[in-house]
Amino acid sequence: MESLLQHLDRFSELLAVSRTTHVRTWDPVTVRRALQWARYLRHIHRRFGRHGPIRTTLERRLHNQWRQEGGFGRGPVPGLANFQALGHCDVLLSLRLLENQALGDAARHYLVQQLFPGPGVPDADETLQESLARLARCGSAVHMLRFNGYRKNLNLQEDSLMKTQAELLLERLQEVGKAEAEGPARFLSSLWERLPQNNFLKVIAVALLQPPLSPRPQEESEPSIHKTPGEGSQALVHWLLGNSEVFAAFCRALPAGLLTSVTSRHPALSPVYLGLLTDWGQRLHYDLQEGIWVGTESQDVPWEELHNRFQSLCQAPPPLKDKVLTALEACKAQDGDFEVPGLSIWTDLLLALRSGAFRKRQVLGLSPGLSSV
Amino acid sequence: MAQDSVDLSCDYQFWMQKLSVWGQASTLETQQDTCLHLAQFQEFLRKMYEALKEMDSNTVFERFPTIDQLLAKACWNPFILAYDESQKILIWCLCCLINKEPQNSRQSKLNSWIQGVLSHILSALRFDKEVALFTQGLGYAPVDYYHGLLKNMVLSLASELRENHLNGFNTQRRMTPERLASLSRVCVPLITLPDVDPLVEALLVCHGHEPQEILQPEFFEAVNEAILLKKISLPMSAVVCLWLRHLPSLEKAMLHLFEKLISSERNCLRRIECFIKDSSLPQAACHPAIFRVVDEMFRCALLETDGAPEIIATIQVFTQCFVEALGKENKQLRFALKTYFPYTSPSLAMVLLQDPQDVPREHWLQTLKLISELLREAAEDQTHGSRRGPLESWFLFIHFGGWAEMVAEQLLRSAAEPPAALLWLLAFYYSPHDGRQQRAQTMMAHTAEITHEIIGFLDQTLYRWDRLGIESPRSGKLARELLKELRTQV
Repeated sequence: MESLLQHLDRFSELLAVSRTTHVRTWDPVTVRRALQWARYLRHIHRRFGRHGPIRTTLERRLHNQWRQEGGFGRGPVPGLANFQALGHCDVLLSLRLLENQALGDAARHYLVQQLFPGPGVPDADETLQESLARLARCGSAVHMLRFNGYRKNLNLQEDSLMKTQAELLLERLQEVGKAEAEGPARFLSSLWERLPQNNFLKVIAVALLQPPLSPRPQEESEPSIHKTPGEGSQALVHWLLGNSEVFAAFCRALPAGLLTSVTSRHPALSPVYLGLLTDWGQRLHYDLQEGIWVGTESQDVPWEELHNRFQSLCQAPPPLKDKVLTALEACKAQDGDFEVPGLSIWTDLLLALRSGAFRKRQVLGLSPGLSSV
Repeated sequence: MAQDSVDLSCDYQFWMQKLSVWGQASTLETQQDTCLHLAQFQEFLRKMYEALKEMDSNTVFERFPTIDQLLAKACWNPFILAYDESQKILIWCLCCLINKEPQNSRQSKLNSWIQGVLSHILSALRFDKEVALFTQGLGYAPVDYYHGLLKNMVLSLASELRENHLNGFNTQRRMTPERLASLSRVCVPLITLPDVDPLVEALLVCHGHEPQEILQPEFFEAVNEAILLKKISLPMSAVVCLWLRHLPSLEKAMLHLFEKLISSERNCLRRIECFIKDSSLPQAACHPAIFRVVDEMFRCALLETDGAPEIIATIQVFTQCFVEALGKENKQLRFALKTYFPYTSPSLAMVLLQDPQDVPREHWLQTLKLISELLREAAEDQTHGSRRGPLESWFLFIHFGGWAEMVAEQLLRSAAEPPAALLWLLAFYYSPHDGRQQRAQTMMAHTAEITHEIIGFLDQTLYRWDRLGIESPRSGKLARELLKELRTQV
């Protein structure tokens, strides 16, 4: 066991080095050894995929390495971050070496010969060649589907690109959570600082709307390894609630409908969301000349957007919808419970929402009876 | 060897030209043309590789000075990279160009360039910068998630197709015909990639709402080819949709079956049955339109071969499998018999379709007499314009081998005078062309001639059974015994 762990350590180092200019010093023998180690680890993955204890030990070792390299908050994620990665560590290594300009001619020539030995060459690592061919083929498939059939789904949570990113995020969070209790929060904060924020926020929203992760096929036999699904989501909610600046950006950037869905699904977020909306509302004042509610600063949320969001919330299923209406009524009461427009934004919002609902009922051919608003 | 070399040079020029025209296969025409040539191009690549691997880098360039351009063009065509093993063979060819020990800067540059092309082929997922940054930031490499991404895209497209199919006008995400056609073209090189199966199935099963066929014929051809070569496994419903939407595919499937039957040396009934069941045609034939086409093809084969016993045997086995499959179909979705046999009286069809084994022994004679009567009526129908008549009736009858065997068995068993109806049936089975008069005469005469005829028929039957390896030990024994006896009488 110990030798296996050391093997793992050595290989992780190797993988990290394979991207650097240090490979300049590598000769064919080094390359061969590296590939052999990779092949061995891939074999380990296949052999012990269902073996709970060994799998856990290996994974813990990898998480430790990750933690040592700066933990889950600092620095990039290492190449081997979990047990699953061992399943294609040879492909990982091969691609890194192949793309590394610093690799010498002799070493590169040897590498290429090993990766693509040709048809029916005895004793060659056929599976690596097949894995690489499949990667190329599937990559082309994705490319063609994207440019010939794919259309960005306006319903973000069903968009395949978004969905994939969300799945990856949840997977990572789950792992990090397993390795360290506070891991996910720090990890998310570091991501927030490093990654394009707009995309990140969308991915978070989509992640929060994913159905609970189903266990991967090979994990079905060891329930102990796979904790309750939804852990990733919980980590996200927890983090959002703990970072008001991020949450404000979250609520600002995303479309009303999406936010309503997210808040319905995760009730813990609704008080904070409503709180934000009330804050935004209070920043607006009534312009007597124009007859509309306006903000004082450019970054203030305009009336239309505010109205949009409340309207969307009022179309949500019961617990959320009632909460929203109660909150609005409370705000209106606090302002003085006016019925005339132009005095309290809350009155005006409620009026707009009611008439909107009325018009909607008309359009749908429903009786103009007592609306629920 | 020299001839091969000349062929290769000719091919080279041809493909160089094609690749230049195709470019990145971004238009309808270039995509269609690429799809038509995918298999041949792969063959060419294989031949190139065989030639290249014997040479070193310098020799390669002396022989094919523009080889780098040819390979590069191929690599920029995603249809080629997506097809079968082409990407692998391309990589092999590129590897042949690498200089093991570059002597000058030109050779070094070439090595660098090759490395770049290899990376391009393997880099696979070239995406929006944002997505790439995100996945990298999470510590994932394309090899970690390409499979999941492909699955999500395929499932999303498949569900879009189904929604389009079900909702018709009332959907916001209506699939335009152009997009559908484009999708079907894109699937052609990917047919044998299992991850894409759900999309292929959805394309076949979901018709959309246009009156004319939108999917490209090359798509149907590619799917059919893969089905016949067992390179894809699709549910029966999808296969039926394919054959209903694209007649040439159904015809090809039948021809494929015929080829298999002909090429096999000695075809015992069991093997015939295996081939037939394997082809999925009996199950598909539960749909009347498919049954009619298949039946028509059998009819043609029969006419061409002048009623060859092998074809008759095939038809009989096929019909048996078909009736079996029909029995398994959901009763509520069953079509009326008339749709399968439009020119046959419903009563006749119903009687014939019964399993002879299901008929109680004491009713055999009765049933056979009924069949004889109805068949005779149909055979002697000279009404102008009707699709009846001796040939059609005979064609119908020979579908059901069980009844013909039963007739023979009845004749052999009963010691009494053979009923005229049975004799008529047997006579009809073996020579439908006999005029009405002759057959009547045959039946009426109680002379040695008829015994001779019976001997002849029995002989033929036994011969047939022998040749085709039909195992009916009981009937065979009876037949041989009777034959012996009759011969002593004459």
